[in-house]
Amino acid sequence: MFREIFLFEIGYRLRRPATYIYLGLYLLVGFLWGMLISGAAGPEAAGSFSGGGKGVYNSAYTIHFSLLALGQYAIFAVAAFMGVAVNRDFEYQAHELFFTRPVTKAGYLGGRYLGSLIFALAVMVVIAVGLQLAYMSPWATAEKLGPFNLSFYLVPLLLHLVPFTVITGTVFFATVSLTRNNLFIYLNAILLLVLFTTASGLSSQLDNKTLASLLDPTGGTAFQTLTENWTSAERNTQTLPLTAMTVGNQLIWLGVALLVALFTYLRFQMNYATESRPLLSRTAQTIKLIGDTVTLQRVSLPSVSQQFGLREHFRLLGLLTGRALREILRSPIFWVITGIGVLFMIMIYFVSGLVYETPTRPVTYQILGLLSSNFTLFILAIMVFYTGEQIWKERTHDVSQLYDTLPMPVWITLTARFVAMIGVLCVLMTILMVTGMIIQVGNGFFQLDPGQYITELFGLRMLGFIETLGLFFFIQILSNNKYLGFFLSVLVYLAFWTLLPAVGIEDRLWRLGSAPQTLYSDMNGFGHFIGPYLTYRAYWGALTVALLILAGGLWVRGTEDDLRSRWARLRVYIRGSRAVQAGLGVSLAIFLGMGGYIFYNTHVLNPFYTSRDYQRMQAEFEKTYKRYEHTPQPRITSVRLRVDLRPEVRAFSASGTYVLRNKHPFAVDTVIINYNSDLTLHQLQFSRPADRVLADTVNGLLIYRLAQPLAAGDSLEMQFEESLTYQGFSNSGGGSSLVYNGTFLNYTYFPTLGYNSDAELLDPDLRKKYNLPAKPRMSLIDDTLAVKSNLLGAAADWIRFEAAVGTAPDQIAVAPGYLTREWTDGGRRWFHYQMDVPMIHFYSIVSARYAVKQDTWQAPDGRTINLEIYHHPSHTWNLDRMMDGMKQSLAYYTEAFGPYQHRQVRILEFPRYAGFAQSFANTIPYSESVGFIANVGKNDVDYPFYITCHEVAHQWWAHQVVGGKVQGFQFLSETMSQYAALMVMEKNFGKENMDKFLELEMQNYLQGRTGERIAETPVLLSENQPYIHYNKGSVVMYALQDYLGEDTLNAALKRYVSKVKFQEPPYTTTREWMQYVSAVTPDSLRGVLTDLLETITLYENTADSATYVEQDGRYKVSFTVKSRKLRMIHDDESEVPINDYIDIGVFGQEKQDGKWVDKVLYLQKHKITTPEQRIEVWVDAKPEKAGIDPWHKLVDRKPADNTAITRPAKIP
Amino acid sequence: MQPVSPTAPALVISGLSKKYPNGTQALHQINLEIPRGMFGLLGPNGAGKSTLMRTLATLQDADTGSARLGDLDMLRDKRAVRQVLGYLPQSFGVYPYISAIDMLDHFARLKGIHHTGERKAMVEALLRQTNLWEVRNRQVGKYSGGMKQRFGIAQALLGNPQLIIVDEPTAGLDPAERNRFHNLLSEIGENIIVILSTHIVEDVSDLCEQMAIIHRGEVLVTGIPQELIAGAAGWVWETVVPKDQLQAHQQQYNVISSRHFGGNIVVRVWADTQPDTHFSPASGRLEDIYFARIKERETAQAAATA
Repeated sequence: MFREIFLFEIGYRLRRPATYIYLGLYLLVGFLWGMLISGAAGPEAAGSFSGGGKGVYNSAYTIHFSLLALGQYAIFAVAAFMGVAVNRDFEYQAHELFFTRPVTKAGYLGGRYLGSLIFALAVMVVIAVGLQLAYMSPWATAEKLGPFNLSFYLVPLLLHLVPFTVITGTVFFATVSLTRNNLFIYLNAILLLVLFTTASGLSSQLDNKTLASLLDPTGGTAFQTLTENWTSAERNTQTLPLTAMTVGNQLIWLGVALLVALFTYLRFQMNYATESRPLLSRTAQTIKLIGDTVTLQRVSLPSVSQQFGLREHFRLLGLLTGRALREILRSPIFWVITGIGVLFMIMIYFVSGLVYETPTRPVTYQILGLLSSNFTLFILAIMVFYTGEQIWKERTHDVSQLYDTLPMPVWITLTARFVAMIGVLCVLMTILMVTGMIIQVGNGFFQLDPGQYITELFGLRMLGFIETLGLFFFIQILSNNKYLGFFLSVLVYLAFWTLLPAVGIEDRLWRLGSAPQTLYSDMNGFGHFIGPYLTYRAYWGALTVALLILAGGLWVRGTEDDLRSRWARLRVYIRGSRAVQAGLGVSLAIFLGMGGYIFYNTHVLNPFYTSRDYQRMQAEFEKTYKRYEHTPQPRITSVRLRVDLRPEVRAFSASGTYVLRNKHPFAVDTVIINYNSDLTLHQLQFSRPADRVLADTVNGLLIYRLAQPLAAGDSLEMQFEESLTYQGFSNSGGGSSLVYNGTFLNYTYFPTLGYNSDAELLDPDLRKKYNLPAKPRMSLIDDTLAVKSNLLGAAADWIRFEAAVGTAPDQIAVAPGYLTREWTDGGRRWFHYQMDVPMIHFYSIVSARYAVKQDTWQAPDGRTINLEIYHHPSHTWNLDRMMDGMKQSLAYYTEAFGPYQHRQVRILEFPRYAGFAQSFANTIPYSESVGFIANVGKNDVDYPFYITCHEVAHQWWAHQVVGGKVQGFQFLSETMSQYAALMVMEKNFGKENMDKFLELEMQNYLQGRTGERIAETPVLLSENQPYIHYNKGSVVMYALQDYLGEDTLNAALKRYVSKVKFQEPPYTTTREWMQYVSAVTPDSLRGVLTDLLETITLYENTADSATYVEQDGRYKVSFTVKSRKLRMIHDDESEVPINDYIDIGVFGQEKQDGKWVDKVLYLQKHKITTPEQRIEVWVDAKPEKAGIDPWHKLVDRKPADNTAITRPAKIP
Repeated sequence: MQPVSPTAPALVISGLSKKYPNGTQALHQINLEIPRGMFGLLGPNGAGKSTLMRTLATLQDADTGSARLGDLDMLRDKRAVRQVLGYLPQSFGVYPYISAIDMLDHFARLKGIHHTGERKAMVEALLRQTNLWEVRNRQVGKYSGGMKQRFGIAQALLGNPQLIIVDEPTAGLDPAERNRFHNLLSEIGENIIVILSTHIVEDVSDLCEQMAIIHRGEVLVTGIPQELIAGAAGWVWETVVPKDQLQAHQQQYNVISSRHFGGNIVVRVWADTQPDTHFSPASGRLEDIYFARIKERETAQAAATA
């Protein structure tokens, strides 16, 4: 019997057009995705999936990743095939036919199940086929493709997609078989999808990876966990290994599927029809009753009045809206989705917003941020699902023939259901608001801001959701098939919201529903973002109204739903009604009008450039002006500015005077000025005659020829006037530097000298695309010309600086230097700052409504250093940590590196449009999002303190010691600041608390290197690679001081600083730095310098089989340590013999303040010379774990397995 | 029932044609005049009855032709039709989890009965009339076939319908239910137009004042059932033959129906004179007209295509 049913099922599927539609759609999805990742949409889109650089587009990794990602979305096809299998019989009442034949339950269910499963699996296969077709298409970039390898497809298919299909398919099959309700399948599908996405999100946390890998039925988490530290070479050729994690994960879930299947088999009832028997017998009695009264009654019905006016229409509208809303709100499914959504939001709250794993304060914008990333998925699921349910309500229940003959226009039904869905959105928003406030209060945060909630949720977001809803209504009505409607809704949403930007369609005018984001800042509120946002909302809103009016005509009323008659009725609908014509006319007129207005703003008032346009312009700029790169230029030696800020209208005007000095040994006759082309440069003149020989205002480049060349050592003055005002808004919504409250301008808003080679395209693929010669990422360390410029370029070395800044009367404006005068002029508040020592050509101008916290620090030489924090009045939580950070840093750095060059340190809060802190001379702008709202708990990384230490360290490392702009220059600024900050952290929090931070840095390094686009470099030769100069830098410098001794290292550094600080070009390099460090390194540790600094060396240290035996109150601990040492040369990792001193540690536990913390029982460096050895040590307390390099001082490919839990030894 | 003016307009259908996208000619030049009272539309399955019913009930559009109810152009002014229409489709479903009284009350509102008192009275009267009052609070979805059908007629009677269309209403009803249903229909049909579409000949002969036979989208016969039956007098002949002679008879005579009777077959033949001596004259029934006309048309068509 199984065979018949199985074959019947297959035959049935093969005859159904839907089968081919699904298979075709997913083939297309695979193909389109394949086009995207094989370079059809440009190298940058493709590169973002293959890791760029040396990653090939059809690497094992990319194929696996793609199939995983697309396979998840195939869940809808799986649902369609598996869910309908059994239910079809019930829906068409065919089950009686089947069940009355001698069909066994196993045969029936098994045949149906497997017959459908084959098609669900076919969907997965066609995705792979589509992908491969794209690789073979002429649009794929051939040179970025590796050879075809079938196993690249088979491994992900067999390892992940097949089990995933079986698991989800079984769940769908079971759900429908047991509930006999189709409704649940798609709900299931959406829920599963959301669950998987969230599970993957959660697994990005450090500790629960193995668990998350096992629990994620898509296998995506296991994939990510296993591959996250893969290099390009590994990604290209290596398929996913069969480990306990990958196979175990799938086995667990196949087991679950088996249980579900078994349960289904046991619970499934073949004799479905008998259920209604009792009901039938009761009816029989009723019939008798009727029979008795047949001849007795006369028909008489009371008279009624019927009204069909507009007033009555609105009454019905109210009635139907209420009914639809009640119906949704009473449906358990709604509350299940919402409940899960809220739970996830709360869960995500605990793991998101973390900086160095430390939570932030739940300020309102932070909570609202959770909504956009997570809860939106649930809202969309509810919108898609209930839109389908509402539109298909009558036809699903076969009431449509009754309903459609009611004397009521379609618009009432349509509007009622739309308004009801808006009502549902309001309920969801209220739930969000309440949940958000509960999270806030639950965390002891009482600065509740209902106004922001209401503006954001019921205003800004609601508008967007309503438009999306209108789109879903239109799609659902147009598609005229509920399931196709679901599918298309999701597809259209994904296409417009994610795909278009990825393929380079950035103009929001074409991206349905798109609007520039509104980023709320505590300092600046919604700022200037609100106007453009609402303009776009009006634009799309008008289109939504037009679509909804059209939907009224497309709505199938009656029994004819073929295209021809729908089209005919649509024509009648439009022709026959003045109201429809007027509505369409007005909404389309508004749509076009707003579109025109937006176009005027984003294309006329502001130039419109896509990222590709910018690339082209960069390429052209380079081709046109590269020849001026080495034209000898004078250097700026003095900057005097007068900046009149108008934050109220987001504008400023400024004038400035530079002194330019010819530092060349020969005369210079050309001055090249480059400036930010957003600015208008009104005037620029020199203190001696000069001719402007070139003016390119699009790129902001001017070239002057001096009538009389500037002699060697001679100076001249340059004066300029400039202004910046924003005209309307641009496609991106407008800049965020010059804002109502919290302006943060830097030196790039003022003219500078020379050709700026930093503006050139860097990505090798892009350079090739635009026919530009290959360009080294960074000048070589031996480049004697490059070393004459510092990290900010060739425009200046050390400058004198002063600035007068005027601002709004209620704001404080700050620039580097010391306040010498404050006055009011014409209602504007003015500040004059003057720096008294030379500083680098790097300055900022900040203005906001600040509260100021002040303190002082006494330097050992008796000087008083003023400490100031300019902050948003309500952001007071971490001021003490920052103040403490400044004091401790100043103390440590003065001692370790030499005196501080200024009399003051200022921290200035700026809005969260950027999330960094940056050190200028005696001035540190610091984003509101990175430290001001941190919520540092007892065991958390105190990052407001840490970031403060890092930025203060820059006052030495970048503002005293400045490296030449060659390989490794960021080592001298960033790595050294990391090191300095780490040492202050260690002083403050203790050695044993450094581990957590260092492990994070290690993790970031290991992940960072997987995304390397060109080549990894040793830390001393880093080429603007943040994962090296920040993350690896921290790890290796901490290890270095551990090997050499903190004092020894610092003594060398102090000598180095005093030698090179404030030096004129040529600037210092890491080579010189290394000489000072080498000088204090004993020969026995020479290898450590090589491993840590001069090469890319990684370890694989592991400990296992740790046991202990107690003897007389002491413990003998023995364990195996394995150690491999790998060195990477030219992208090739090869093993090198190990011969190193490595920490061996044994740890117990002790209670501190009621919490168990690690206690060091033994920690010594052992010389490790063999790949594997047994270690035995005696300790005085009960050991808990033991291992090698427990504090992650060495760069370790798998940091997590360095220690093993100790267990009592079995005594033989 | 609210009294309707005795001059209630007739429904005039002329030249109505409909072809489905798959090529089926469902209606072909239908011309009918349907006066006040019960009108039976008789035809085999697939004759186009439902298409005609649905077209009149505004659920479908015709390709050509017109249908007018007095001054009302039924094919264009659908909203006006719906205001005077009561429709019971061949099959229909109900909303889940809703009681009969609630659903009827809801539909009453949607039919424009906004006055609460009037609406309540009407709903109650209809539920009593259809004998559903006792079970009014039960979910309609759990009703038996007959109960659901009576619920269907109750909803069709909401308001003041001038045109009631019932499509195959007695299919699946037991004899008592059917009886009851007929009673209700004929009472209503006294003052307004009731179109009853069916393939059961007795429904028409028992109830209808006027009728039409429709086959393959065309009207074969229109008239008053009694007159049509009277017209059949002298045309119907009957004989009883053994089973093995049926085929010979079918070839030899114009057989319009045959049925088993006590191991033999009763054969009825349509002819103007006695076909053979073993045939005896039989009294004409509506059924005979029905079969004879359909057979006549089939034969004519077969000849035309041959």
